[in-house]
Amino acid sequence: MDLNNDGHPDILSGSYSWNERGMAGIFQVLWGQPGGGFKQPTPLQGTDGKPLIILPDDKKTPTLARICTRPTAADWDGDGHIDLVVGNFGGSFYLFKGEGKGKFAPKATKLTSGGKALEVRHHSDPFVIDWDADGDLDLLSGASGGGVHWAENTAGKGKAPTLKPFKAIIASGPKREYGAMLKEADLDGPGSDTRIWVDDINGDGKLDLLVGDSVQLVSPAKGLTEKEYHKQKAAWKVEKDKCIAILSNRKSKKAEKRAAGKKMNNLHNQRKDFEITKSTGYVWLYLQK
Amino acid sequence: MKTQTLFKTFATLTALGTAAAAYAVDFAPPLMMQANGQPISTESPGYAAPCWADVDGDGKKDLLVGQFAGGKIQVFKNTGDNKLAAGQWLQADGKTAKVPGVW
Repeated sequence: MDLNNDGHPDILSGSYSWNERGMAGIFQVLWGQPGGGFKQPTPLQGTDGKPLIILPDDKKTPTLARICTRPTAADWDGDGHIDLVVGNFGGSFYLFKGEGKGKFAPKATKLTSGGKALEVRHHSDPFVIDWDADGDLDLLSGASGGGVHWAENTAGKGKAPTLKPFKAIIASGPKREYGAMLKEADLDGPGSDTRIWVDDINGDGKLDLLVGDSVQLVSPAKGLTEKEYHKQKAAWKVEKDKCIAILSNRKSKKAEKRAAGKKMNNLHNQRKDFEITKSTGYVWLYLQK
Repeated sequence: MKTQTLFKTFATLTALGTAAAAYAVDFAPPLMMQANGQPISTESPGYAAPCWADVDGDGKKDLLVGQFAGGKIQVFKNTGDNKLAAGQWLQADGKTAKVPGVW
């Protein structure tokens, strides 16, 4: 399939937010070109000629529902037009109904399960596919807390989707203490902020999962043994905790707080003397047995 | 950021039997994807967003990995022997494609 039905594959992306008034993670398309290749991203527009934006009906968290968007394209309602099922920072899911040739209704509707909003805990990451091979399209998602989650569609082929609540088909990874030592060689599965793709990767007729993640690697600075690293970090943490105690104490004098703040900055800069941190993301493959 | 090519075909399941209320699958332990012998990773701060699709029209699906930094997308071409070539930034209009709205 391609988004505008011109015979050329396109690439669709969400985004964190644009810089216009009012935050919104608009959708961007790299339109496929005749003979291959892509155009630079351009905002995907609704039938009103304006960039598609999730306009949530939840008054409490409107910004979180609009930003950090993640789209997936499929004929969700079976009407022959490609629709968009999109995720966001808040963890909910919205449907933009397709009207053909890359045109979408401007107003999105929230997906529900049993009358309640269908949600993961932040950073919903939808993928639409017939996961259980019963003829209808299911919804899978990554999440901020990690793991892969499946909302089964029980409606049957050709009917408006009816979704069950999410259940994990891949459990969240181990909870790791922030800043604790972690090397690439220690990793044995996805961390947090999972983004997913589903396909038969190895061609055995079974659906597999590709899972992207985020992780912070922490290792001793060059030249330090692990023992030396832990000793230096423990001493550093003692000093940091002293500063935090002063800064968080309402009875601390202004001069004390100023000095503690300055020391915190110095400690922050000293951290690289004993520790290397690297934030990155990996891609993991789960092959179905 | 999540990327998705729009010519994805829905894979056909052939050996899973009829759908049941307690549908369950079993996976092998996860494998860290590699290309050219090296783990596939993103620039800081991470947020790897994978996509499996044929972007070069050679009939083999490739791995695309979106990332937060710069809104860039790495392409790891499928060399056809269960291996992926070293990553290259996706090009658009002759330069590195950058999705606006991420940093």
